[in-house]
Amino acid sequence: MPDTTAPDGGPLLVVDGLTAGYNGVPAIRDLSFTVGAGEVVSVLGPNGAGKTTSLLAIVGLVPPMAGSVTALGRPVNVRRPHELARRGVLLVPDDRGIFPGLTVRDHFRLAQRRQDPAREAAVLDRFPALKGLLGRRVGLCSGGEQQMLTIAKALLGRPRVLMIDEMSLGLAPKIVQEMLPSIRALAREEGIGVVLVEQHIELALSVSDRGVILNHGRVVLEGAARDLLAHRDQVEAAYFGADEFAGSDVPGGAADGGAGGSGATSAAVVAS
Amino acid sequence: MTTLLEFAALGLGLGAVYIGLSTGLLLVYRATGIINFAQGAMAMWGAYVFARVQDDGELVLPIGTIWFPEPPGTAVALLVGLANAVVLGVLAHYLVFRPVRRAPALAQVVVSIGLMVALQALAVIRFGPNSIQVESILPTGSIELLGATVPLRELTMVAIMIVLAAAVWAYLRLTASGRATRAASENERGAVLMGFSPDRLALIALVLASLVSTMAVVMGGSLTGLSPANYTLLVVPALAVVLIARLESIGLAVAGAIGLGIIQSELSLLATRSWWPQWAQSGLDQVLPFLLVMIILFAFGKRLPARGSLQSVRLPDVVVPRFVPWKAALLVGIAVACLVFFTPSYRFGLTTSLIIAILALSYVVITGYLGQISLAQSAFAGAAGFALSKLTTAWDVPFPIAIVVCATLAAALGMLVALPAFRIRGVQLAIVTIAAALAIERFVFDNYSLTPPTGNPIGRPTLFGIDFAIREGRNLARLEFSLMVLAILVLMVLLFVRIARGDTGRAFLAVRANERAAASVGIDVRRTKLIGFGLSAFIAGVAGCLIGYSRGELSAESFSVVVGLSVLAVAYLGGITSFGGALVAGVLGPLGLVYTALHSVFDMGNAYPLITGIGLILTAVLNPSGIAGETRHQVEWVKRKLRSGRAAPPAAADAAPAPVPAEKPRETTGV
Repeated sequence: MPDTTAPDGGPLLVVDGLTAGYNGVPAIRDLSFTVGAGEVVSVLGPNGAGKTTSLLAIVGLVPPMAGSVTALGRPVNVRRPHELARRGVLLVPDDRGIFPGLTVRDHFRLAQRRQDPAREAAVLDRFPALKGLLGRRVGLCSGGEQQMLTIAKALLGRPRVLMIDEMSLGLAPKIVQEMLPSIRALAREEGIGVVLVEQHIELALSVSDRGVILNHGRVVLEGAARDLLAHRDQVEAAYFGADEFAGSDVPGGAADGGAGGSGATSAAVVAS
Repeated sequence: MTTLLEFAALGLGLGAVYIGLSTGLLLVYRATGIINFAQGAMAMWGAYVFARVQDDGELVLPIGTIWFPEPPGTAVALLVGLANAVVLGVLAHYLVFRPVRRAPALAQVVVSIGLMVALQALAVIRFGPNSIQVESILPTGSIELLGATVPLRELTMVAIMIVLAAAVWAYLRLTASGRATRAASENERGAVLMGFSPDRLALIALVLASLVSTMAVVMGGSLTGLSPANYTLLVVPALAVVLIARLESIGLAVAGAIGLGIIQSELSLLATRSWWPQWAQSGLDQVLPFLLVMIILFAFGKRLPARGSLQSVRLPDVVVPRFVPWKAALLVGIAVACLVFFTPSYRFGLTTSLIIAILALSYVVITGYLGQISLAQSAFAGAAGFALSKLTTAWDVPFPIAIVVCATLAAALGMLVALPAFRIRGVQLAIVTIAAALAIERFVFDNYSLTPPTGNPIGRPTLFGIDFAIREGRNLARLEFSLMVLAILVLMVLLFVRIARGDTGRAFLAVRANERAAASVGIDVRRTKLIGFGLSAFIAGVAGCLIGYSRGELSAESFSVVVGLSVLAVAYLGGITSFGGALVAGVLGPLGLVYTALHSVFDMGNAYPLITGIGLILTAVLNPSGIAGETRHQVEWVKRKLRSGRAAPPAAADAAPAPVPAEKPRETTGV
């Protein structure tokens, strides 16, 4: 397993007891995990488990109700989400965070605080398909090209932590199979801490160091990726054990989906 | 030919002003997604400051004045004026626009209208209501071009504005902030996640926009003079230009602005020719932008870019109204008692309040219930009022029938305005309706061939031998008239409650929430909008007739766009989603009860519109459900507390089930 700590010894991203939600109703409760340099962590779970909310809460786009997020050794100011991006904690949202009316070149310019031709050339070498598209409006690019641009512009921002929400959404499985390993390689080469939110369990775990499985807004299972892959039964139980976890003591019942859930008080940990 | 050329050159001056305003509008829209109806008013303020500093060294602030020892010269005056523009841009960002950046389109339209009303009122207070002359900062003289004498002033002006517009273009295209502004206008969350602060970008845009527009008005003022009204409303043709530019292209905005300026100038030339019909001479300069807006929105409405926002906030709450007989009887009783015992001046104030409540009710229907922003309600009212004048004097149509006929006419006009609403909504509809209102005001109400300046008298309303006229001899506020108005208000509220509670009301709310979702459950969205516009215009028309009766004769000032906007202001202040809000609006409205009371205590002069403008901004920012909505929340809160207090000892409640009264239904009358 690669080194999971930042150069100064601590993890790059520490999420501690994070609770967040909408209109006063928590969608994630007491979420804790860490990401070290060069480490890839998969956040998995069924629909409505709170995966996207977790990422948005980490960067402050969904205001947290409790808990804290520490990025690169400093606490995150949730009132100024744009500052986090400047510090190198980048979130690629599920709409890919792109601007359809701007050209690929515009995106590259926006992504770099200081223009760095060498870096740009290096990133373009990684995604050669983008070379011919620099002048094209992104709205006219294909889904695969847009996803490549998304990753490329994130890399141009020299991220220390990169969080990607549902990269596989709307993409052909073949493209996903090509892109996930390249992210794995990037994390290792540049020491980036990567968080992947995915629906596709096996594909995500196959490129990850660790996995965190959410259900009903809580961590129900976590462990090393290879252990999770080896214990499919436990993973499936965590996914489909929804009825067991949606406690009857929750007002409003289990029909609300991600809002409730209280049965599981602590996350199961797969022995490694 | 030379005359044509000379008029074209004159049109360049107007075109230059349009460049300034439309560039500002466009920049603010790109950075915030808000159409700033106050763009002209903001620019006017800086220009006023410039003019006074230049003229007599008096730096007029919103409160207080600083005197220069001696008039400091044009360059310093210009700097002071532009510095004011910067400060105004910063203040507008922090106090007005930033708080509503994620609010629904209605709240955004309302705050910018509030700012416009407030600035205009402040300008009247601080600079006087009359037009002042502005000394030109531009070179005089003229050059010969193709045999025509072309004034240098207009040419310089348009050249300066083109340069400034090019600077704005360069900002958007070539700088990091500008690029981020364009990015954020497409996907705000994406821009935040790339490390840009949309608030910071909006601040820059507001300041730049304020500077460019102020520069245009400073120069334009030297051609036309400055008055609180003229540049405030020049925002309407500028909006047409922004639509030509499809809310995007600075280049198209410049071309459109110059084109519109020239065409308006040529039209004013053509209108002097003998073959031009006399009835079509007035208000052409406003009819043209309206036609442009209509054509553009019809042709390209779907392709205009909408802003992808971070998150949308809920619309103001609606509580389905309920008719509670004892409450209604109580209210009517109080009103009758007040009308009977009030002095004539208070009775007139209350009567005006009742009429404004009807007009505000028309906003409740169209904006609160149907969610369509119509700024043309005063035009509907005015159309009915002028029709009433013709009907009662020329054709002797008897009293109650005349009102119904005129209001129906207004309803037809409203349905006509509903046609663009089939394709567009939100702020674009607001643009169409304000353009329509201004066109109707200038082309019809101010048109002496249609509404003679000698007056538009209205026949006395009589029914069953009872005279309901407002005046008789020296009695200027007859009780009979007031009671008649009250009766009509009650009728209108009953009509509203009846419709709002039924299928139509539910269809209104569905269309307001989501047109596609409404269509998917079988609601005919077009028909619903048609009904909504017709109904609200009908109610507005009734109010217009009553305004006519209450004045005895009609004047265009009663139905100007500005009056319509100030009624919208109080309607929003009162609570745009309930008829209770309309009643509150009536009490607060211009010349209404509160106005009369305040006016008798101390002389407010022109402060009332300023107060309503500021109140409107505060309401939109702090409390979108208005005074009536807030009161309802408070009442609900108290009721809940009382209920939970009663249920506190559970054992006691179990033991004695009988005395617990049945829970009141959640619906309230909204009063």
